[in-house]
Amino acid sequence: MNLAKPSGLFECFQQDGFFDEMIGLNGEPRSFCRQLFETLNAMSPDDFRARCELADLTLMNQGITFTVYGHEAGIEKPFPVDLVPRVIPASEWTQLEKGLTQRVQALNLFLHDVYHEGKILTDGVIPRELVVNAPNYRREFVGANPPGGIYIHICGTDLIRDGDGTYRVLEDNCRTPSGVSYMLENRIILMRVFPSLFRENSVRPIDDYTSILLANLRSIKPSRVETPTVVVLTPGVYNSAYFEHCFLAQQMGVELVEGRDLFVEDNYVFMKTTSGPKRVDVIYRRVDDDFLDPLVFRQESALGVPGLVNAYRAGNVSIANGIGTGVADDKVIYSYVPDMIKYYLDEDAIIPSVETYLPWREDHKQHVLTNLDKLVVKATNESGGYGMLIGPQATRTEIEEFRDKILADPRGYIAQPLISLSRSPCFVEDHFEGRHVDLRPYILCGLDGVKIVPGGLTRVAMRKGSYVVNSSQGGGSKDTWVLGSSPMVQEQRMGDMVQRQVLDA
Amino acid sequence: MLSRHADSAFWIGRYIERAEATARMIDVHYHYGLESPLVGETLRWSSILAISDTEKKYRDRYKTLDERNIIHFFAFDQDNPSSIASSINFARENARSIRDAISSEMWQTVNKWYLGMRSWNVDTVLKVSPHSFFTWVKNESHLFQGITNRTLMMGETRDFHDAGRFLERADQSARILDVKYHDLLPSFTKQTAIADDEPIGVGGTVDDHGWLAVLKSVGAFEMFRKTYHEGVTAGRVAEFLILNPKFPASVRHSIGRVDGCLKRISSSNDSSPRNRAERSVGKLYQELNYMSADEIIGDGLHEFLDQVQNRCTEIGEDIRECYLRI
Repeated sequence: MNLAKPSGLFECFQQDGFFDEMIGLNGEPRSFCRQLFETLNAMSPDDFRARCELADLTLMNQGITFTVYGHEAGIEKPFPVDLVPRVIPASEWTQLEKGLTQRVQALNLFLHDVYHEGKILTDGVIPRELVVNAPNYRREFVGANPPGGIYIHICGTDLIRDGDGTYRVLEDNCRTPSGVSYMLENRIILMRVFPSLFRENSVRPIDDYTSILLANLRSIKPSRVETPTVVVLTPGVYNSAYFEHCFLAQQMGVELVEGRDLFVEDNYVFMKTTSGPKRVDVIYRRVDDDFLDPLVFRQESALGVPGLVNAYRAGNVSIANGIGTGVADDKVIYSYVPDMIKYYLDEDAIIPSVETYLPWREDHKQHVLTNLDKLVVKATNESGGYGMLIGPQATRTEIEEFRDKILADPRGYIAQPLISLSRSPCFVEDHFEGRHVDLRPYILCGLDGVKIVPGGLTRVAMRKGSYVVNSSQGGGSKDTWVLGSSPMVQEQRMGDMVQRQVLDA
Repeated sequence: MLSRHADSAFWIGRYIERAEATARMIDVHYHYGLESPLVGETLRWSSILAISDTEKKYRDRYKTLDERNIIHFFAFDQDNPSSIASSINFARENARSIRDAISSEMWQTVNKWYLGMRSWNVDTVLKVSPHSFFTWVKNESHLFQGITNRTLMMGETRDFHDAGRFLERADQSARILDVKYHDLLPSFTKQTAIADDEPIGVGGTVDDHGWLAVLKSVGAFEMFRKTYHEGVTAGRVAEFLILNPKFPASVRHSIGRVDGCLKRISSSNDSSPRNRAERSVGKLYQELNYMSADEIIGDGLHEFLDQVQNRCTEIGEDIRECYLRI
């Protein structure tokens, strides 16, 4: 059978010279997803579309939507989910797991260091001014000691694959990374609308994410507490990630609170309940540093809790992620992470970074300015795909605008070569087409080490040719499968009866 | 539980009950009109506006009093805070804000209800059949109640939800009775709306239909029949809707449920109230337990119902004061 030109949903599939997650250069499906390819290819467009509609309906009914503005009343639409899973073979995952673990360990050591002795700065590995002048470096926390020395409890590291399929770290998200609920929901939805795919492939489960998260949050309790009260702190119902905040609180069985539900007395944090104040010991906050405590940070913030920072410094409440982690995911600091890994762990970085030029360095500045039309320029402290210049796709005016910005504030920008992100097949109208994807695994750090559920959020640039995967910019997502390495035993329980099925990898 | 969560649970209960009560009321009056062409359309609809206390709001927004405008106003008008659409919206927003505290199934039910509202408007209602729309609204409300019963812990969240729901129900039952009583007891001022040669007042055809409509609009007609075999009179209807201990929409039963919820919330099992809210509910409940229909009517039904509505408002404020202040 000639697989290069199969009849079916893949019939017209074009790779356009990009690295495809499912199909190799020879046009044949990669060995680890041959079965999946055949099943998908053999489907009728109507059948596939019907499943997409079912998935959309499920999302609508659950309220997993975003609001399209510009109409009189905001119209809600389901978050775009593509039903073709992105598959990662066991061996690749093992490497990623090692690389991510190494990375987050180094980042936590870095944060502890820069909020204490600052050895890495004294030794000149990273220029001191870059760190202490970083907008997210919180001088107020020098000397603070979070339990276990952990600053980053939840890290969302964005990975991309370049033209030859090499995984690279694009950026770390060490503050309040979001999206994990979509990772979990995508799996639930895919299992609901495509159960047969899971019977045919041995996909590693990810549903213990919230159990690990809860165990970690409990582990960082202030030492005086026996049974800690954990809460999730949300900016409120109008935040775009509100669904996720609810979802996590619900899955962990803890209260979801807003700033106005909490108050601080004698350096202890309490929530207002129907039976009076109740002490809070651990806060998984999804509110940025700036809005956390109007007494310390932005005074006008109504989202925070006055006095929270003092309670934290006094060790009466633990906060995840810790305050001041933003200095570790600063885009300028990013370029020094391989040096950090070397410095703290004496290891080479397992997952390479993307080559990065820093305009504040005289030796990089000229290169950046003369190659603006070839580079991607990013503002160091913006996220969500804002404040970005994609040189090869930009107009003359846009390039000149960025030139002025860079000259005015060289520390505020970095430049990287344009990486041709890998693609993954997505269902478009009645067939499959390649769309660019990235991968955000969620790394959890607790007192007993680093854990990563096998998978992550695969974000998809749904628009043809687009590289922008952020949901605020028209991005969607898809389920991410990490395959089991050895035959997996799947157990099904019905009361006392257990059925065991051995599945091939 | 968080006071904010309790507040939302309480209001989910109220809004969902309100959506259902509004659907029942409009449904019955719409069909009451079809069966009693002798009652002028204006009278029929103006009493509805009086029940819901929205006459002024309506007059500001609509020129004529007809079924199309009335259905729009009560079912779809987002500027009418007690319309079905507004009630569902508010219920959903409250449910969204405590998604983590209620079951996913509860949230999805109210969300689906909200989404389902989009496929209706006044044109489709009039075209398809108003009854099927109102039935759909009632059924969604019952689906929510059923799923709540089945999935929500027997705890505070449920008690606050139920307290809101039954307080709203007591208030709605008192209100509908009060207004229809005005309409139906000898009030010859309404004469203009009624054909000259038709009997008016107690015992007349119009009255019978009117009281039947009252009973039907709180879903009480069949149960009333089983309870009283002698026929429909104002006194019996009042007795049934105010004092019957077993009818689920009677004021007495509803207030009794609120009383039970508050006692569970503060885990008090004796008769001494723990706070202001318990005192005001308990007091009203005991009065209803020991009162007779003759006394109520003797002292003036309207005065009594008016007092009940005011006390429901007070109870709501006391509950807020004791538990929900954020």
